Parts: sequence; C-alpha cells; structure tokens
Amino acid sequence: MDARSNSIVVGEGLARTYRLGSTRVQALQGVDICVRPGDFVVVQGPSGSGKTTLINLLGLLDHPDSGRVLLDGRPVTTLHDDELADLRRDRIGFVFQSFSLIPVLTAAENVAYPMMLKGLARAEIRRRTGRLLERVGLAARAGSRPDRLSGGERQRVAIARALANGPDLILADEPTANLDSSGAESMLDLMRELNGERQVAFVIATHDPRVVARARRTVTLRDGRFVTSP
Amino acid sequence: MSIWSLAVRNLLRNRRRSLLTGGVVVFGYAAFALAGGFMAQSLEGLREGTIRSGMGHLHIARPEAFRSGAETTLEYGLTQFEAIETLLRRDAEVVEVLPRIDFFGLVTNGTRTVPFLGIGLDPQREARVMDTPRTISSGRWLSSREERGVVLGRGLAAALGLGVDDGVTLLATTEDGTLNAVDAQVTGLADIPIKEMNERFLATSLSLASDLLAASGKVSKLVLVLRDGADAPRSLSRLVDDLHGREFDVAGKTWEELATFYQQVRILYMGIFGFMGAVLVAVVLLACANTMMMAATERTREIGTLRALGTRARFIRRQFLAEGMTLAALGCVAGALLSLALRQILNHSGIVLPPPPGATSGMPLHIKIYGLAHAAGALAMLLTLAISSWLPARRASRRRIVDALTHV
Repeated sequence: MDARSNSIVVGEGLARTYRLGSTRVQALQGVDICVRPGDFVVVQGPSGSGKTTLINLLGLLDHPDSGRVLLDGRPVTTLHDDELADLRRDRIGFVFQSFSLIPVLTAAENVAYPMMLKGLARAEIRRRTGRLLERVGLAARAGSRPDRLSGGERQRVAIARALANGPDLILADEPTANLDSSGAESMLDLMRELNGERQVAFVIATHDPRVVARARRTVTLRDGRFVTSP
Repeated sequence: MSIWSLAVRNLLRNRRRSLLTGGVVVFGYAAFALAGGFMAQSLEGLREGTIRSGMGHLHIARPEAFRSGAETTLEYGLTQFEAIETLLRRDAEVVEVLPRIDFFGLVTNGTRTVPFLGIGLDPQREARVMDTPRTISSGRWLSSREERGVVLGRGLAAALGLGVDDGVTLLATTEDGTLNAVDAQVTGLADIPIKEMNERFLATSLSLASDLLAASGKVSKLVLVLRDGADAPRSLSRLVDDLHGREFDVAGKTWEELATFYQQVRILYMGIFGFMGAVLVAVVLLACANTMMMAATERTREIGTLRALGTRARFIRRQFLAEGMTLAALGCVAGALLSLALRQILNHSGIVLPPPPGATSGMPLHIKIYGLAHAAGALAMLLTLAISSWLPARRASRRRIVDALTHV
C-alpha cells in the first residue's frame, strides 16, 4: 500500500476485451501494475499478449472494461474527456512505434506543440524547445519537416515532444521497431539517460531483446496476464 | 503556429484536392455574383421603366381614391390640387408634380366603337420627366397648341383603323352620371410595351379630359417625381404629414405599393434566384463534403496522435473548420475576381436577351456589381464549407483514440 501511495500510475485488475470481427479477444485479464517515479519498466511479451492495450490504459487513451487506473492515487475512470486530455498533455508523454510526428510541422514545431496546447508563453516555448532539441542532439535539424529526417531522428523528435511539458511518465510502444541497430541503441541510451537525469518514469512495451537487456524492471505478459510479477 | 497557419499548411498537403475543392467554391461564388448581378440589373431596369413610364415615385390623392368603390370618374377627385401642387413644388426633394385625370370611356371613328383607358395630363411636364412621349412611333406627342389632340396606343388605333391626324369622338360618363362626348384629333400613335395596354391606351390633355368629364378644377391625383426615389416611403410620409398640417385631406402611396406587376416580377426573380442558389449550395456542399471527408479519413491516425498528446476534441473540430474557412475565403476572393472578369466579358459581348416580362423588345445583356449577391455568395460558400468540414471532423474527433491510432 505504501509503495502505491507514492506511485505515479497504478493499474488495478485491468481487463479489456476487444471485438475482432465476430470474435471477442480478451486483451487483458485482470492485470495489476504500479509505476513509481524514476522507474524504467519494460513490458515484454509476444504479439497479441496485451502490451499495447496496457500502455493505452495507463496512458488514459482507453478505458478498461473492469478494474481501474489511478494517477497520483486518484482514479481517472470517471473523468471527463477534456480532463483526461489535459492529464495526458501535462503528465504523460508518448512515443509511438511509427513516430507519429505531425507531417506539416517542423521538428521544433512538433516539440513545441504540447506546450502550445498548454498555453505556455511563446518565449518559454522557444526556450524549452531549443533545449529539448539540443538534448536529443537535433538542434541543427530544428527547421526540418519529418519527411526530411531519418527514422532515428524522427524518434528523437518524438522523445523530445514527449518531454515537452515535463511529464512524470513516458509510455513508449515498440519505440525501436522501426529503427536500425545503431538507431535503436542510441535511442535506448537516450531514454536511459533521460530516465536518470530527470527521474521520468519510462514504461516501454516491446519484444526487442535489446530493450529488455536495458530494463531495470521487466514484466512479461502472455495472453493478457502477467507471467512474471510486476 | 496559429490555427490559421496550420490550416494553410494542411491545405497545401494535398494541393490538387484543395485546388479542386477551392475551384468548386470559386465557381459557386462566381455563379452567385453573376446571377445576382443579372437579376439586380433586370429589376433595376424594370423599376426605372415602371417609374418613367408614368408611375412616378409617389401618388397623392384623396384617401377615398385609394379605396375602390367610386361610382363615377373623379367622384373622389382633388379639388385644391393647384394649391397642393404649389406646396409640393417648394420641397427640395420634389423634381416634378404631374396632375393626372384617370378616366375611361369609348372612342369611335364613326363606324366602330372601342373602349379605352384614358389619362389626362400636362404634356410639357410629362415630356420633361416621363418616357411616355418617347413611345410615340408615328406622329407627335401632345402639346398645348393642340388642346383637342389625343395619343392612342398603336393597338387601339389599329382596332379602329385610325392614323395620325384622323378625327375621333370620345364618349364618357360625367360626374353626375350623364353621357358626354367630345371630338378630338389623333396626334400620335404610341407603342406601349404591354399588349393589353397597347389596345386600350389613350392620352390627352388635362383640359380635354376635363371637358369630356365636365369636371373642371379637379384631378384624380398628383404624381410626384423625386430627386432620389431610393427612400420614397420616408419622403411620402414627410410630404403627407406636411399637407395634413395644412388641413389638406390627402393620402399617398409609393410607386412600390402601386406597381403590382413590378412586385410580381420581383417575387418571381427572387424565387428563381433562391432556387438556383439552393441548387448551387447543394452541389457545392456535396462536392466539398466528399473531399473534406476524404481529408479527415486520411488524417484519422494523425487525429489519434493529436488526441493522445492532449488535444481536446473541439480543437480538432476547430482545426478542420479553420481549414474549411480558409479554403472558402480564398475561393471567395478568387470567385469575386472571376465574376468581375466574366462580367466585363459578358457586358461587352453584345448579347441581346429575349424581351423581359411585359416588354416587346429584347434587352442587351448587362450584369451589374450587386453587393448583396456577393455577400450572399460569400455567406453561402462559408456556411457550406463550414458544414462540410465540421461534420467529418466531428466524426473523426469522436472516434476512440486507440482506434484512430491504429487506423489504416
């Protein structure tokens, strides 16, 4: 209970079922998880084991069929759509497998976007964007559109964007899946450094052994259940 | 990075599609502006024609004269018309005051007799401000030198087999109910645009009409021509109030209240324009809704990402709305330029249109710049694009984020 009281996000008995055509797929079956500040958790498991579903639930992108998600000890199940959006904007960063940068925005604008949503002053946005791009080694590519960047560079921009509003938690779904070896290694180095520097908790869903090898804590999902303790 | 700069960038993503949608807006706007300009020009022509063909801007008469039920001609005639006329002439807004006697009777050449609708008038004053004298196609307009002169509609003259300088006899009922007759001479034949009027029209001097009706010192009404007829109701109200203040028992009507034909044509034109506008809006709406729907569907994943980053659903809808509005605004500007260019070409093309309602000759095509049609076009295009961008955006923004993120 003490461990949960200083946690960032807690999932209690999370269950989620999807309809795939005429069949019902039980993606998660009563999963419990607790993420604390500074955690670097890797959720591993084969395709279809429920990793993405767990990330979506912890990231307030989806609602569980049963169980609940607590952010800072407060349940989020009953919150309004706009309140959930504000929590995602301020407290959680996302890194997606396919980078998911906005194609019409430059690297700097992509990073600035969440800050703009939050309504920060222009000067502050400019200052923070510069620092974040510098931190991920892309200060020189600030004005480039995503289609002018390599896969590794795009994912670095995505990380900088995830850090924009100083979140407590970054959720990454297969962040290395579209990267080559060196790109993946450099990405993992960056995530570990940021984790150490800023005490930002990382929850990474992956089946990439290179990522698993860097984990401080690993949990394994199979058929919607943890086979190793979280 | 404002919502508008983002809108422009998103529109430039798929230039061909944006050009196509914008093109629909351009043509939609231009169609509104041109059709409206043509309608306004036609109505303006009809309005001026109605006023200058004898209607004038205002009619002043005894209140009973505007109500039906007079048993004899001039039963409700104005007796103090000269005093009223003098007062009205002092008003800066009044250009001309035309005393008129409206009457009816029979005209005969000795062997055949035909009914007529007559008008007694002051030939010189009428010639100054009305187009009636210019409808004379044979002979000459009335003059004070020929007090027994009459002008006949060409149709009426043809029915009696009369020509210029032929003699006729006019018969009418006087105020006390007896039949009176006077001899007259045809001075001219007029081409009246409305066929039915052409077969009944007769104009003569006030003195001959008074003789025929045995009612000197009385007219049916005073017709006023104003300097600027744009605000005829206000001028009428002011003038009638002034006359009431001087104990004259009079009432008045504006030309719009009396010109039923003009009003019918106006309603007809508005109906046609409204129907055309509705069809145009429906076509633009369908074309734009299709492309905006495609744009929203293609960007479903991106919408999912934006929502995941903390963008509220209504911001997504606003973003799409801004794109629609930007496209509509640019389309309207281009549409305005296109309509001006087409207007120049059409106005100089020499195209002659078939006769408008009530006319006997065609009129050259002329399209005016009509602000209201431009405003209606712009409003219709903005609303159409607003609807066609809002609806798909609403659908996309309501989608579950996880579904949007995995959309293929």
